[in-house]
Formats: sequence, C-alpha cells, structure tokens
Amino acid sequence: MKSFKLVLPYFQQNCLIIVIGISCLIVVDFLQLIIPRIIKWAIDDLTSKSVDPQGLVYYFSYILGIAVAMGGFRYVWRRCLIGMSREVEEGLRNRLFFHLQTLSAKYFDNAKTGDLMAHATNDIQHVRMGVGMGVVALTDAIIMGAAAIGFMAYIHVQLTLYVLIPMPFIVIGTRFFSKRMHQRYQDVQAAFSDLTEAVRERFAGIRIVKAHHSEPLETSRVDDISRKYIKQNIRLVKITSSLFPMMVFFSNISLAIILFLGGRQTITAEITPGDFVAFISYLGLLTWPMMALGWVTNLIQRGKASLDRIARILERLPDISDSNLSTASENLNGALSFENVSFSYGTDHKQVLEKISFMLEQGKILGIAGPPGSGKTTLLNLIPRLYDVTEGRICLNKTNIKDIQLSSFRSRIAFMPQEPFIFAGTIKDNITFGCPGLSDSDLIQAVKKAALYDTIQSFPHGLDTVVGEKGVILSGGQKQRIALARCLIKSPGILLLDDPISQVDTETGRAIMQTVMALPCTVIIVSHRLSALKNADILLVLDKGRILEHGSHAELMESEGYYARTMRLQEIEKELNDY
Amino acid sequence: MTTNASFFEEKQLDKAYDFRLILRIYPYLKPYRLMLSFSIIMAMAITVLNLSLPYITKIAIDQYIIPKTGHENDSHSGRRLNVDLSGHGVAEIVDRYPDEFVISGSLAMIEYSRLSRLEPDDLKVLRKDDLSGITFIAVIFVTIIIIDFILNFFQQIVMEYTGQKIMHDLRMKLFTHIQDMPVSYFNQNPVARLVTRTTNDVQNMQEMFTSIITFVFMDLFLLAGIAIVILNMSWKLSLTSFIVLPFVIYFSIFFSGRAREAFRIIRTKTAEINTHFSETITGIKVIQLFRQEENNYQKFKKLNHEYYQAGMKQVHVFAIFMPVIELLGIVSVAVVIYYGGMNVISDEITIGVLAAFISYIKMFFRPIRDVAEKYNIMQNAMSSAERLFQIIDNQEKDAPLESGMVHEPLLSISSLEARSVSFGYVKDEPVLKDVSFSLQAGDTIAIVGPTGSGKTTLMNLINRFYSPDRGQILVNGIDIRRIPSEQLRSKMALVTQDPFLFSESIKENILHGTRELSDKEIYSALEHSNCKDLVERLPDGLDTILSEGGASISSGERQLISIARAFARNPELIILDEATSYIDSDTEQKIQKALINLMTNRTSIIIAHRLSTARLAKMILVMKKGVIIESGTHEALMSKRGFYHMLNQMEKIA
Repeated sequence: MKSFKLVLPYFQQNCLIIVIGISCLIVVDFLQLIIPRIIKWAIDDLTSKSVDPQGLVYYFSYILGIAVAMGGFRYVWRRCLIGMSREVEEGLRNRLFFHLQTLSAKYFDNAKTGDLMAHATNDIQHVRMGVGMGVVALTDAIIMGAAAIGFMAYIHVQLTLYVLIPMPFIVIGTRFFSKRMHQRYQDVQAAFSDLTEAVRERFAGIRIVKAHHSEPLETSRVDDISRKYIKQNIRLVKITSSLFPMMVFFSNISLAIILFLGGRQTITAEITPGDFVAFISYLGLLTWPMMALGWVTNLIQRGKASLDRIARILERLPDISDSNLSTASENLNGALSFENVSFSYGTDHKQVLEKISFMLEQGKILGIAGPPGSGKTTLLNLIPRLYDVTEGRICLNKTNIKDIQLSSFRSRIAFMPQEPFIFAGTIKDNITFGCPGLSDSDLIQAVKKAALYDTIQSFPHGLDTVVGEKGVILSGGQKQRIALARCLIKSPGILLLDDPISQVDTETGRAIMQTVMALPCTVIIVSHRLSALKNADILLVLDKGRILEHGSHAELMESEGYYARTMRLQEIEKELNDY
Repeated sequence: MTTNASFFEEKQLDKAYDFRLILRIYPYLKPYRLMLSFSIIMAMAITVLNLSLPYITKIAIDQYIIPKTGHENDSHSGRRLNVDLSGHGVAEIVDRYPDEFVISGSLAMIEYSRLSRLEPDDLKVLRKDDLSGITFIAVIFVTIIIIDFILNFFQQIVMEYTGQKIMHDLRMKLFTHIQDMPVSYFNQNPVARLVTRTTNDVQNMQEMFTSIITFVFMDLFLLAGIAIVILNMSWKLSLTSFIVLPFVIYFSIFFSGRAREAFRIIRTKTAEINTHFSETITGIKVIQLFRQEENNYQKFKKLNHEYYQAGMKQVHVFAIFMPVIELLGIVSVAVVIYYGGMNVISDEITIGVLAAFISYIKMFFRPIRDVAEKYNIMQNAMSSAERLFQIIDNQEKDAPLESGMVHEPLLSISSLEARSVSFGYVKDEPVLKDVSFSLQAGDTIAIVGPTGSGKTTLMNLINRFYSPDRGQILVNGIDIRRIPSEQLRSKMALVTQDPFLFSESIKENILHGTRELSDKEIYSALEHSNCKDLVERLPDGLDTILSEGGASISSGERQLISIARAFARNPELIILDEATSYIDSDTEQKIQKALINLMTNRTSIIIAHRLSTARLAKMILVMKKGVIIESGTHEALMSKRGFYHMLNQMEKIA
C-alpha cells in the first residue's frame, strides 16, 4: 500500500470529520436494527392480545422518533464521508495537474494525451469512489452484518447458524462474479473504443469513401464492429444478470430456511411469532452487508489500482530541472554559444543534431534555413531547455545553461513555436499570457509591432474577442501574429522564432521582419522564406542535423549552395505571384 | 486561462422532457416487438413471483404458525389452540397436562400463552398438521425462488440483447445517414462531434431504453402490484399507509429538479476540466517557456474547486433526499404498526396480514429511492435523442440528382468536359471563375498553378463533392448532376495529397471498396504500384495492420499503397492530387513510376506540383486565382514564355 501515502494526509486532516461521519453511520446502523425489535414487540403483544391502543401509540412514536433521528444522522454521515471523498478528489487532481506541469516536453512526447486525460478523470474518480463509498460500504457491512447476526443469535443461536449458511455464498459469489464483471466491462470498453475509432476513421476519410463509392463496404465494416460490441455487451450481461439474481436467490434461501425451521420452532413454541417476524426483518438487513462485502472489495481494489497509476506519474521526477550547481545568475546577457551539440530524442532514435557549434553575440540575429527534417526546430527547442542536449553544451555568457536557474533563464527567453498555441479565452488573455498586469499601452504597442492592430480592430469585440478552443475562429496568420505579440510584449533577452511568417502574406511578413530586425535582443529565426533571413547577421543552413553552410547573406549567395539556390527559387516564385 | 462555458456546452435543450422523442424511437422498436413482449411478460411474471413471497409468509403465519383465534366462543378470551383428541397419541399428551387443557367433546383447547409450558416433542405431535403444512409452504417457497432466479436471468439477457439490437439499428441508421451527407456537411461539423453522436449518444439512449423498460414494466408494475395486493388484504390499512405517498411524490419531484441542476453543473465543469487538462498538455511547451505554470495551476485549481463545489451540492442534495425518502418509508411502517395493530386488536386483520403488510411496504419504497437516478439517466438520454434526431432530420443529400436523371447506366467515360464552371465555397468569394476544358477517353491533362489557384476545388467538382454554382460538368455530354453519383464515382479513382489509409491490413486497404480480387490481380496491382518491395519487407506482408493514421510506414510508402488501391479499382478516370510533402528521392522515383503505370491507357486529370509530372500530360492547364490563364502542350507553353515558362525556370533551380 505504498500509494496509500497519497491519500493518507487527507484522512489525517479530516480526522475529526471522519470520526464524526463514521460514528453517525454506526448510530444509524444500530437505530436501523432497533426497528425490527420494536416490530417484534408489537407483534408479540398483538399475538398475546396484551396491548391496548395506547401501547400501539407508544410503538408508533418510538419508530417515528427513531426514523427522524436516523434521517438526521444519515445526513451527517453523507456530508462528512462522501464530502471527504470529494475533497480527496479535488486535492489529488490538483496535485496531478501541478506535477504534470513540471514534467518536460520529452515526457509528453511519449505519453498519450488520452491516457493522461483518463488519469485526470477516471482514475481519480475511482479513487474517490474507493475512499467514499468504499469506506461507507465497508463500515456498513461490518457493523450491520455483525449487529444483525448478533440480534439474530440473541433470539435463537441455532436458527441463526442455519440462516447464515447461504451467506458465505453471497460474499464469494459477489467477489467471483464482480472480478469477471470488471474484466468483461473492460472488454466492453475496448470494443467501444474500436467502434469509436472505426466510425471516426470513416468520417475523417469521408472523401475517399465517397470518391471510391465504398459507402456500402464501410457500412458493413462498421456493422461488423458494432456487432462485436453487442457481443461483448452480452458477455457482460451474462455476468451481471447472474450476479444480482444470484444474490437475491441466496438471501431468499435464507428466508426459506427461516420459514421452514423458524416456522417449525414457532409451532413448537421454542420461539415466539414476534421473534419469527423479527428474524425475517433482520435477514433483510443482513442481505445488503453481504452484497456490500463483495462489492466493496472490488471498489477498493479498483480504487487502489487507480491510485497506483496516479502514484506512478507523481513519482516521476522532472528530468529537466535545476541542478545543485544552478545559480540565479545575475547576468543573463552575453553571447549564446553551441559547443559540439548533438541530440537525439531517445537512445534508440537516430541523431537529430550532430556536433553543432556556433557563437552568437548579444543582440545579434541568427537565421537558420534548411530542408524539412533537418533539425531546425529541434535546435530551437534545446535553447530554452525543452529538451537537454545529449552531448556537448550550450552556454550563455560562458556558463552552461544547465547551471543557470531554469525559471530565471526561461524568463529571459521568448519562444514562438511553429504551431502557435492559442487557448480558449480572449485575444488579450492570449497575448498577455506571459506577463499579466501590463498596461494597455504596452499591449497596443506589442499588437502593433506584430502587425495585428488593424486585424484586431476589425473584430467585433477588439482585444476582448473570445477566440474559442485552440483559437478556432482565427486564421493561421492571425494565430501566428498573436503568438508573436505574446513574445514581443515580454521584451525578452533572447527571442526564438520558428517560421514566424509562414502563414501571413508577403506585405505583413515584411513589416513583421522589420520590427524583429530592429529589436535590441538576441534573435534566432528559423524560416522557409529566405527573404525573411536576408538581413540576419549570421546564417546557418542545416541538413540532416549538420551545419551545411554558414556565413552572411552575401557570402552564402556567392558560395552557390542550398541557400543561394533556394533564394533564387523563391524570388522567381514571388515574381510568379506578381504575374 | 479563461474558459468560456459556451464553447463546451452545446446548446441546452429548451424543453427538458419531450415525449415526442420517445415516440420517435418506436419505429426502431417495431422489428423487435416479439422479443420485447416476451421480455415484458417475463418481467411481469417476475413481479408476480416477487409479490407472492411475502404473501406466502403471511399464509404460513396465519394458517400454520399462529393458531386461529376462537371467534365462535369469545373474542376477548385470547388465542387458543384446538386439538382433536382422536388424533394419534393426542389423548395421552392432553392427559399429561390436566391443568392446561379445557376439554369440550372431542376437542381439547389450550390457551396460546400456555403452549410454551408443553414439551416441544409433545407439541410436535399435537401440531402435526401445522408442521407438515409449513414443510409444504417451504417447498413452494423454494420452488418459486428457483423459478424467479431463472426468469430473472433470462429476462435480463433477452432485454439487453433486444436493447443492443435496437441501438445497433439506430447506430447504423445514423452512420449511413451521416455517411450520405454531402462533403460540405463534414466541413461544417467537426468529425469528433459526429463520432460522439454515433457512439456516445446512442449509448446514452441504450441506457434510457433499458431503464425505461425496467422502470415501467418492473418498478411501476411492482408498485401497482403491491398496491393491489395490500388493498385486497385490507383496503383501510392500505389507504392509511398511503398517507405518506403525496409527500414522497412531492419530494421526489423537488429533489429531481435539484439533482438535475447539480448534475448539469458537474457535467459542464467536467468538460471544462477536461479541456483545461488537454489544453495544458498540448500547450505544455509554451506554458513552461512563458513560466505560466503557477498561473495556469491557479486557474486550474479554481476550476477544480468549482467542480468540487458542484460535487458537494450534489452530495448535499442526495444527503437530504435519500434520508427523507427512507424516513417516509419508515413512517409508513410506523403507521402500519399503529393502525394495523389497532385492526389486529379489533380482529379486523390477522397478524399474518400485518407481517405481510410490513414486508410489502418495505418493498414499495425500494424503487422509489432510485427515481432521482433514473430521472438523470432520462434527462441525459433525452438530450442525446434530440441531437440524434436532429441529424436524422437533416435531409441534405450528397450529390442530389437533378431532374431528368439518366436511366441508362453509365458504361464508360468517353469524354469529360467542364463548361464555364464557376464555384465558391462561400457566397461572393469565387474560387473558380468560368473554367472550361474538355478531354477524351485516354487523354491526360495536368493542372498546374500556385497554391490557392483552385486546382483542388476543380477536383472536388469533378468528384461531385460539390456542384458548380454556374456552368456544367459533363460526362459523355451529360451533366453529371443527372448521373447517379455511385455510377460516376465507381468509374473513378482518387489519389490524394495526404492518402487516407484505414487502420486495417494493407490488403484490406488496397481492396478498399472493390470486388474481391484474385491473388494474381493483387500481385499485379502491387507490382505496378511499386509496392512489392514494401510488402515483402514487412514481416506480416499484406496482412500488416496499419496503426492509427498509418503511422507505422512512411508517408511516401503510404502514397504507394494509395496508388495500389487505385490500381485495384481498375478505374477509367484517374484524379490525382499530387503530393507536395517532402519525400526522399528514392521513394519519389518509385511513386513517379507507379503513377506512370497507373495513367497508361486511362483517362487522367493530374493536379501537378512537379512539372516533371505535368510533362506527362497531353495538355496542361495553368491556373491562377481560379482562372485558366494558359493552356496547351508543354512545348507550346514553353515557347510562349509565359507563366508556365516561369514555373519551369523555378523548378530548374530547385
């Protein structure tokens, strides 16, 4: 129960509440057991005709009083215990979320979003059920079970023993079936995912489906998969529809035993008719705890399995973090240099960058070009330590960046990724994302620099326009410029731009590049539009992870390599567009 | 991150309940009415059996366990047991307890309260008949519970099977309906939403179906049954114990409303939490780089706390509802004890009736407790149903036939012509302007031009994914709007930029949408499409399953497979949207060769991004901004030194 540590603090914090909750639960259980006693007394009195209407009023008011008290206590335990489980849920989810944010990009490359989402929802819910209903059902089962048996034994020991014969079958049966039920339930879920995926593919590939007129075929494929799903469901139902009737069956067997043996004993006057009826009532109370015992073990097991999965994530240490040597370096200016940097995404992956070395003075601009897959984006990712280098080192002002406090280092860097990340919220939220609490004039300034001002003016709510999840209402170019404004407003020391003008028109692109060139910070730009790089101080051309060419625009044009060829190509392309 | 609920919640339903929706499900039930009736009959039988159990107990108590009171003599003298002295061994026993028995004629009477003074063995002799009676009752009881068990099992299986079948039909109906929608529909509706409709929403309906049937035919029937049985036993006592019913109904309705509200908030918040989680995961790099972890965490924490509060509200609602319903249940037991007890005293009912009453009243309250839960399921299913039928009611048709449909089947494509075709996806934003061209069977034409010039749109029109706003596209001189689309499309093959492969085996992907091919034909398709090496390299060969999105093979190889797929269809007209993506030169050459093989002896329209591909064509159309600006053979266009010439210059440098 190592992962139990995760929920232990919540139990400790809510110690008092749990004690109150469980006490109330126990009180309710006992009150519940008293009612059959009262019924017994009433029946016995009625049988021997030794009761008058006044006596019945007493019985009536006893039951009523107990009922009201039970209602009150029930409310309290539900609030305390179920409420506590909700608190555990909230706390665990917060913790998981917080922890995930500390993990590096590498972790997220290998983790499936769907899995992580499942941890955040299903697993945490299972834990909640385990600690909430699990605790309640367990307490209930033990207290009620023990007390009901006690009361029955008080009436007649031998009869009690007979009545209990079917009970172990209920516990064992519930366990046996619910284990299989869980397995088959997962099979049903898997079949459901297959179905979802099959439908998704057909809708995503609708053009091919239509162009090939394969609608009938697709229908029959989906039909098959849907039938498999039915089959899995039926397999599950075979279990569930045996489980519940089986439990009812066994508890009815107990009832039959009472009827037969208890009935005989009542006839031979060994027990009273009141005892007989009360026995039947107690049996009713006993059935639920027996079922609960089987059910609760599964609930707790499932909760534990989920807790283990969550614990595995929480145990994972962030692989990019401050080392012992890290200092909150006061001087985060100076030259940025790559010294024999090599990188691969994993030991069994091929090298993405090989022995890259260059030096970029403070305030200078570096342009990087190269065919797709040459390692340009990876190179940019290494600078803010989204990934750490495999070999070599990256230095800022001659200090290895691994030895600089991560948070202060990253605060100096602004990064604009290829795929701009826009979240649901207003445009203003999206831009001021990195530095909340800036003045509106700063905001307008950044927006203008990113050539976004006129566009935003055309939106109905201006900067307060809500953009929707992943920025659905924006065009690619608009998203890029928002991401750029987000970088500019930060006034960073180092600005990293990954293909910043790929989706904007030429005019806007030119305006943006002018702004960027005039910035006082160190800039690294990756671009497929070489015209954007022309004015950079140094240019690098990467190919298959190596530096193929480097130098100034003029030098590279002279050398007649990739850069010069591509440059000419793009000039003609531009001419074509103006044709 | 500010989250805006309106982005997650699709519009709320105006009316919570709409029974017209339930009526709409009826046609789907009809084919299964036999199975359904069978299941319902079994459900009723189960209810009857369940109701009989307390009744049997009552009989046991009244007939055998507790001796009848001596009405005929004196109702105030208490219960007595009468024994027949002529019975075997009875007289000797009566003789042994001279103080206890009062003898009158052939009968000996003993007061009930004095029975315990007798030896159990003696009582066994005296009450021989009662004992055999109770044995008989116990046997009946066991028989009933065995039948009950078996019926329950089969009822649930039949019920579930029928339900699943009905939902399967509904799902397939929905799937084919969506599949038959025009391509523009898929542009307006995100795939994820359509998938949710066909899977999750149908699933919700399934839950509703099962719970409605159990509710109506088991719970309501049980309630009615109990009411009838107890009214029969004693209508006065029944009516008195029903005093609590109005309160039960009132509280159920009141709390259902509250629970629904809490449930709705929880759902909204769950959606928001999920969105925030997935946004954080996809944007993790940016969040870390802009050091927004703390800020983002605070926002999440706030959201999570709102979820917690909504959850607590639900806990609160149930913490009141459940105890209140239980309380009312116990109150009615108390009423039965008091009022029923009075009736027993006045000898209007027997003790057995009283005991049975208590059992029935307890049974009565069991289904009522679940009402709120069932209400939620209904609520959920109703909104699903509404969304489903909204789609089914959308009668937009893919490639609708214009009046004057051609009745003769399209045997082959001998010519294709575009006549002054104009088209725009959005009104007043034309993508194609007055485009005309024609080709004969066996011709190859290539369309070249910069991105956004309308090349792919033209392909969409020939495929009938869209219809031209003005002008016509004619096959064999007939407007394609008058030819059934399946006839037209079955003569064509589409090879697209980003080939879409299914997560099935390579073989299934190649045979996609065609008749079964012989091994020889498949082999020849692989050979011509240059796929042989690829298939031989893979350990499972043709049976290799392509994982999600076909990720286990490279994008060039995916294109080769899509070419093999076109071969397998043996089409007359090839529409090729050439790939622009970066592919290594080796694969590139393989693709080129495969394409040349494919185009041999076929009519082809190529959207060419590489001019080397365009050169294969007899005629080249040069497009720019939706207009054909140049056309002719490669040589003619080159000598014209226009736009095409420039394009060629550009490629030479690259």
